[in-house]
Amino acid sequence: MKKEAIIEKLKVIVKPYVKNQEAFDNLTESTDFITDLQINSANLVDVILDVEEEFSIVIDNESMEKMITIKAALEIIETKLSEKC
Amino acid sequence: MLGNDIVDLVVSRKESDWKRVGYLDKIFTKREQSLILKAQNPDLMVWNLWSRKEAAYKIYNRQTGIRAYIPLQLECFNWNVINGIEYGKVVCNRAIYYTKTEVTDEYIHTIAVIKMDDFDAVHYINDTSTIQKINGIPNWIDPNTSELKPISISHHGRFTRRVSLI
Repeated sequence: MKKEAIIEKLKVIVKPYVKNQEAFDNLTESTDFITDLQINSANLVDVILDVEEEFSIVIDNESMEKMITIKAALEIIETKLSEKC
Repeated sequence: MLGNDIVDLVVSRKESDWKRVGYLDKIFTKREQSLILKAQNPDLMVWNLWSRKEAAYKIYNRQTGIRAYIPLQLECFNWNVINGIEYGKVVCNRAIYYTKTEVTDEYIHTIAVIKMDDFDAVHYINDTSTIQKINGIPNWIDPNTSELKPISISHHGRFTRRVSLI
């Protein structure tokens, strides 16, 4: 799956939890889930569970610890998808 | 050094479904999950433990400069209730953070410190004009000493708490 396609899917996933619409509209790889999008930390779990469902992957604890930005999420998804093949 | 976290229970009930499959496993240890499932009010226990972890994480983040999503590494222990206030500790690797939690029908508020004595020095800041952000981290100017002191700000739903040590 192409990077752009993953980001598009990620945007759909995070949208319901976003508290800062402007940051969402200007989303880039360096966008931070908590400080930029202002997703509540208790909802970051939902983002992670949604990512697992959407991409049919399992995000282990070590990977979850890094899931703070779009870039980190992207790298984790790409790695897990490549492990599946 | 201190951290604080407030949970607006009306908002958390509306915005978070902790009963979702896999949810508890991602953020609570097995021991914590059994506390939740055995609790008289599991919903309150979820947010009680969560606010402890969040308050402790805020100190961890300041101390180490590390930002990470590590709820499983911050484990809650101890349950001493004194005058309706719950005292406990959160352990992260070898670090221990002491917590003081107030539970009401409307909110749960936890303050975390690195030594028990610091609870006596906790001060609530209402005057926001004394707050300055340095590299994104908020500090507070003590008007009595002009000293810059760390402040912890927590905002959720209807509630905001700003705390510092004097």
